Amino acid sequence: MSAAAITAAPTAAPARRVVSPWNPANAVTASRFLTLPPFVWACAHGYHQYATLFIIICGLLDKVDGLVARIFDCRSQFGELFDAITDGICYGFCLVVVAYFGWAPAIPVALTLLLGLGNSGLRAIYMRRAGRPVNYKSYAMERVVAYTAYLIGFATGNYLVTFFFWGFVPVMVVTILYDAKRMLIDAVPPAPVGGYGSAA
Amino acid sequence: MELVSVEALSWIVTAMTGIFAGAWLVYDVRNLTTLRGKDFSDPLIRDRCFGYLMGITIAVIGLVGVLRFHGIL
Repeated sequence: MSAAAITAAPTAAPARRVVSPWNPANAVTASRFLTLPPFVWACAHGYHQYATLFIIICGLLDKVDGLVARIFDCRSQFGELFDAITDGICYGFCLVVVAYFGWAPAIPVALTLLLGLGNSGLRAIYMRRAGRPVNYKSYAMERVVAYTAYLIGFATGNYLVTFFFWGFVPVMVVTILYDAKRMLIDAVPPAPVGGYGSAA
Repeated sequence: MELVSVEALSWIVTAMTGIFAGAWLVYDVRNLTTLRGKDFSDPLIRDRCFGYLMGITIAVIGLVGVLRFHGIL
């Protein structure tokens, strides 16, 4: 081997820890889907309090998965994406269910779902622009997601439903408009450094 | 087949909403004050500022809703 070939050889990249997708944090995230069948059962039988209980459990598990990821040091890009997708599926599904059983006004629910789908499309475009599957960080959307969980609780608890559902729509519209500008127009920020292991 | 009385449930939801919204309001107002004097040409600072403002808005909606439910507003 020539000296030139030796000097041109690429230097070894620093070892990157590999996090399996089969980890405790993702198990907690996945377990949130188990609250959906009993939630539908409670709604179908008119058990408002049980439905409220199941959506509270689903919301608490959303908080616990992040805690488990920190305790077991198993944060990953896949886990973050899986968490966001699970939020969308669980809360979107529950909104449809409460609207179907007449516990929530249909128009704001439909608007919320359309805006949520639009936001997912924007994220897909942003992923292509950024060239990485990292979940888009939005401080405002984190708060909107928490409000969504509460919305379902207000519907199942029959608690000032019209006020909270219609109050939610402008909040979500403003947040998505702001995030759309950031995802479609603004420059893509550099990838986070050293935050995660890679999902195997 | 219910767990608690309807009145108890309304107070549980009131407590969960009121306490959470109140704490959230204080938390995001505090977060917002930490941004004073920061460079708002930095996109991350702008995103944080917008996020905290939306958090404050959502918290106010929560508190107003609780007060409206109990006929105070």
